Amino acid sequence: MRYSRYILLFFILVALSGCSGHQGKMPVEITYWTGWSGHEFEIQKGLVDRFNAGHKNIHVKILSVFGSYQKVTIAFAGGDTPDVLSAVWAEQLAGYAMRGALTPLDSYLAASKRKPDEWSPGIWNMLQYKGHTYGMAATTNATFIAYNKQIFREAGITRLPQTIAELDDAAAKCTKYDANHRFIRYGFRPSGLASWAYVFGGKWYDQKTGKITANDPHNVQALQWMASYAKKYDIRKMQGFESTFGSAESVSGPFFVGKIGMWQCGEWVEQFTKRYAKDLDWGYFPLPYPPGGRPKSMTLGGSVFVIPSDCKNKKEAWEFLNWICGPEAVSDFCKGIGNVPPLRAVAGSPRFTKSPLFAFAGNLVSSENAFGPPQMPVWRTYMDQIVRAEDFAVLGGRDPKKMLDDVQKIMEQEMTDATEVL
Amino acid sequence: MAKQIIDKNLQRPKKSKAARRNLFNGLLFASPWILGFIVFTVYAISASLYYSFCRYDILTPPHWIGMKNYTRLLTDDVIFMHSLWNTMYMVIFGLPIGLVLSLALSLLLNIKVKGISIYRAIFYIPTLVPAVALATLWMWLLNTDIGLVNVLLSKIGIAGPGWLNDPAWAKPALIMMGLWGIGGSSIIYLAGLQNIPDHLYEAAELDGANSYHKLRHVTLPMLSPIIFFNLIMGLIGSFQYFTQVYIMTNGGPQDSTLFYALYLFNRAFVDLKMGYASAMAWILFAITLVCTLLVFKTSAKWVYYEGHTNE
Repeated sequence: MRYSRYILLFFILVALSGCSGHQGKMPVEITYWTGWSGHEFEIQKGLVDRFNAGHKNIHVKILSVFGSYQKVTIAFAGGDTPDVLSAVWAEQLAGYAMRGALTPLDSYLAASKRKPDEWSPGIWNMLQYKGHTYGMAATTNATFIAYNKQIFREAGITRLPQTIAELDDAAAKCTKYDANHRFIRYGFRPSGLASWAYVFGGKWYDQKTGKITANDPHNVQALQWMASYAKKYDIRKMQGFESTFGSAESVSGPFFVGKIGMWQCGEWVEQFTKRYAKDLDWGYFPLPYPPGGRPKSMTLGGSVFVIPSDCKNKKEAWEFLNWICGPEAVSDFCKGIGNVPPLRAVAGSPRFTKSPLFAFAGNLVSSENAFGPPQMPVWRTYMDQIVRAEDFAVLGGRDPKKMLDDVQKIMEQEMTDATEVL
Repeated sequence: MAKQIIDKNLQRPKKSKAARRNLFNGLLFASPWILGFIVFTVYAISASLYYSFCRYDILTPPHWIGMKNYTRLLTDDVIFMHSLWNTMYMVIFGLPIGLVLSLALSLLLNIKVKGISIYRAIFYIPTLVPAVALATLWMWLLNTDIGLVNVLLSKIGIAGPGWLNDPAWAKPALIMMGLWGIGGSSIIYLAGLQNIPDHLYEAAELDGANSYHKLRHVTLPMLSPIIFFNLIMGLIGSFQYFTQVYIMTNGGPQDSTLFYALYLFNRAFVDLKMGYASAMAWILFAITLVCTLLVFKTSAKWVYYEGHTNE
């Protein structure tokens, strides 16, 4: 009962801080909520200021809702939303779109002559639901494996792993124990079943038939493979060893001090190494894949920009949205926060490709095997279930097939529930 | 004075002008609370009862589905059953440990030694720390490798467990953490202890009672209303266990700390299944009510109120 009181408190907060209709002639005030915080918020705010300076007819007011994302849901529920929102996760987009909470952007995009192929295909896909575009993206991240070159030389690995078998082999060669058979270093530990399932050639949802495919044989294979690391290296020992790891964002990060040979990470690792391990000799390669799997595969996600259906100033909101997700702002924002631009022209511009890592990451993001959240309304719940299955299979030693069968059953029910509503 | 007013009212059932004005003024002064109570409590509770029979995602209007949420919860949701078990674990193991230790602490704090008020303050201070700050602090204390708890254990040659990373140890870790806050209930016990008249102890001593006898036959019976109160409050609190795990573990590892209230919250605010979550809230209410009533039922057997005789 205590929480219902908080919910209502939120309503009041939202009512106090939400957008109010404009009166008078000029300029139109647009409220914009973002989930970025800290220095990322400052950079986003700088862009908003630049927009305001160049557009006398519109004034954008930016607010960070970092740490209180529930406010977004409640704003939608109360119909008192800001005009533009970037505090919506890609995995929530379809759920909101299905329930009519978002403005379809198709006609605006057409009027502003923006084309689908400006975006990487995976990104463009994740912005769609049932044939309409509901969001825009300004940032994205790549996933790949970084490796310590020094450790690879010591272990005698001369060829970068391209297949799962080669990855397993490299992981074993990098692993070192002390006299008491305690880890000095381990080679690799895979994580993120949602991504590895794609790498193994699996899928989570069949767009055409609308069917849940959680227990797809390839997904099961991927989870079995992940669990094999837990068995081979004794997951309790691995966890014990991991508890001695310093924060990845510090000089004692496990990759920086050689406690792991390979690290499943993203392009942000470049800033980290610059800051915490200047002398580290390291390289990177795409996630290796098994026979029948997908090369250069990974998952996309992140924040998306939307215009809620209840927005009162859609024309002005679009003008701002189009600019903040346009080439100039995307380029500056991604450069500022060290993310990969989802716009192909920007990602391919010398400003980004002059860094070999960003050229590589941009290439991965625009791969046909880079997948965003499927266009289904319950992906947020689905993700939790996938993580749960991974935890139970890898850490708890449960049967991967059984865990994914459970997910299949639960998600079929969730899907029926969600679609029955309408 | 009060008696006179009551008598007057009894004699004259019809209220006088002044009394009516008094009533009106009284209600007027209480109206902020009454309004708040109606809007934020009565309305919210009734709405949740209605929603519990609906499929409701808060973005589209609620859709009546009858008992479906309840039947699904009780027959087909393994995670729900697991979260219920986790919560019962805290009630069955955590609650008695907390009650016994806070009672023991209050007995210690009742000893008349020099500087006792300082000790009392020291044990009470942790309860002043907000739950969120406490949770964050304990995440550090319970860290497997660098946490103070395991560092101290290693000093005496024990390799501490993974605490919050180990499904077998996560709940015991939370119970241990809960003991940090027993100062609150100890203060209540202490007030009760000081109300026990000395002559009872003196009489017992004359009859040759030792310390155990005095505790068993004087202190505990005299304290039973307080124990009863702390038991009821602790029971309700255990069923609502939420903040700490929301901050510290979010239900992990492997659902070992997925408590009822956390699962409810996730269903409501992560999955937007408000109807389902409302049904969960009402089931929790029913469980808490039944448990509380059971405790009340047994109380006649063991709770002693001075001046009342048990029939």
